[in-house]
Amino acid sequence: MNAQYALLAPEITLAVVGLVIFSVGLLIPKGSRQGMVPLTVLGILVTMAVAGAQFFSNVNGSFLDGMYLADNYASFFKLLFLAAALLVVLSSTEYVQKLPAHRGEFYGLILFAALGMMVMAGSGDLITLYVGLELMTISFYVLVAYLSEDGKSGEAGLKYLILGAVSSAVLLYGVSFLYGLTGSTVITEIAAKLGSGMSPATILALLLVLAGFSFKISLIPFHMWAPDIYEGAPVPITAYLAVASKAAGFAALVRVMLVGLKAQALDGNVAVALAVLIGLTMIAGNLMAIPQKNFKRMMAYSSISQAGYIAVGLLAGTPDGVKGVLFYSMIYVFANMGAFTVATVVSTAQGSDEIKDFAGLARRSPLAAVVMTVSLLSMAGIPPLAGFVGKFYLFKALLDQGWVPLVFIAFVMSMVSVYYYLLVTRTMYMEEGADLPKIGVSGATKFTLLVTMLVTLFLGIYPSPLAKMATIAAASLFR
Amino acid sequence: MLNNFGAIGILLIFAIALPVILVTVPKLLAPRKYSKEKGTVYECGMETRGETWVQFKTNYFLYALVFVAFDVETVFLYPWAVQFRKLGTFAFIEMFIFIAILLVGFWYAWKEGALEWK
Repeated sequence: MNAQYALLAPEITLAVVGLVIFSVGLLIPKGSRQGMVPLTVLGILVTMAVAGAQFFSNVNGSFLDGMYLADNYASFFKLLFLAAALLVVLSSTEYVQKLPAHRGEFYGLILFAALGMMVMAGSGDLITLYVGLELMTISFYVLVAYLSEDGKSGEAGLKYLILGAVSSAVLLYGVSFLYGLTGSTVITEIAAKLGSGMSPATILALLLVLAGFSFKISLIPFHMWAPDIYEGAPVPITAYLAVASKAAGFAALVRVMLVGLKAQALDGNVAVALAVLIGLTMIAGNLMAIPQKNFKRMMAYSSISQAGYIAVGLLAGTPDGVKGVLFYSMIYVFANMGAFTVATVVSTAQGSDEIKDFAGLARRSPLAAVVMTVSLLSMAGIPPLAGFVGKFYLFKALLDQGWVPLVFIAFVMSMVSVYYYLLVTRTMYMEEGADLPKIGVSGATKFTLLVTMLVTLFLGIYPSPLAKMATIAAASLFR
Repeated sequence: MLNNFGAIGILLIFAIALPVILVTVPKLLAPRKYSKEKGTVYECGMETRGETWVQFKTNYFLYALVFVAFDVETVFLYPWAVQFRKLGTFAFIEMFIFIAILLVGFWYAWKEGALEWK
């Protein structure tokens, strides 16, 4: 019995850390909550060490009759979520000082959101998955509405609450159908009971589950919440939402689709429907990003199109495709966090996040401008940056499955995305921005900027360590 | 295959038709006699005075939330208490961890003034 609990070590560690952070926030008098960041960072690093130890010692076990799984696939995603949480915490140290109230809970909520994501990645049972999903989204509801004096933030929080509840309801409806069809909520048992049968009810269940998750990963036509909520939320939280919650959605979606519904998910018409969704997502996401004036709105549409790219790996449905999903999600964390850290810095200094606020950033803060450029070009998929390798893995996996037209769309749309990413770069380098203040980056923020940039560059030139990890993780999903 | 879709289709038609029928049938059949009494918000009890859009204090909701936390706790505590002898020490420790987690939440609510009536 005790040996089993060792499988849950990363989750237990993070839960303890989260509770301790919460308690510390309560014990320290308001206004002097300074020691929280080092403590949070330490807690995340310890959890990362535990999750990393599980990954590298190839722990593959299940808990409570397959209701919870600790395999390499889950461990990989746990490392991803923790890396994202770490970068968010480090990048927001100065931003948090400007928050109107409740600074103490900010870090605790970030940790609990990460805990929810970890449960989602590890769950081998649809109910457990749902509990993890709710832990994540409820933490996010609070975090999105954190700027209590800013109407936009409150509006974003309310919208996220309502749309999140609707999408959860759709997902649960699909889950209830699956339970009705198979009499089980355990993902592997669902696969065994469904066999290769394809009844109308299965299609209904499949589409409802797909729609529920599509909200979380903002696949068109379930994307409409993203721009408003990304714009209203505090900048670091927008980054966290774009990166980690999306990856968590993918972690759960890929497992449910490729393990639980493996015979049905990519069968004929369903695959075509998914391909149409992905194609639409890539085209519309990229085209709608072009006219945006607000940086966060632009990044919201950009993240919608990125979800399209990542979903390509799901459509491929092979270990190579899943490897692409894992690899791309991880490098997307670093690229997106780099861009958003710069946005956080600018927003802290100037109190606004329109694209024109970045004018002359190359002169005002050369490091920030370089990091922004590297991150955006990586997302556009320009070699030798990491994004290129990630897209290469994804598109190649899809090409192997014979989806040539979709790969073509993906390539063309990647080229289109270069345009609006470069618009930001042009604003930073070519425009004067004479009356805007000089921006100094220091301490944790500078560290975050350097780390994201170096990782993006390093993985672009030498991707094999992460690619190997992704291959191992993808293989553990298909055992 | 098509038969099965037919079953879903019939369910769908009924699901849509039922509320429509329920609304239209009384409209057609029921006698309509309007009176001042029927027009009031409440048909019984005290007559309303002033604005009917009364604003509730949000404290009610905070109380309700704290109450729910403890409600759920009892749901778990009862089966545990009934089976206490069988479950042994391990479950004993587990339950204490569970209560400790809840208490942190309660402590937070208390400290942040959720229980104060301002």
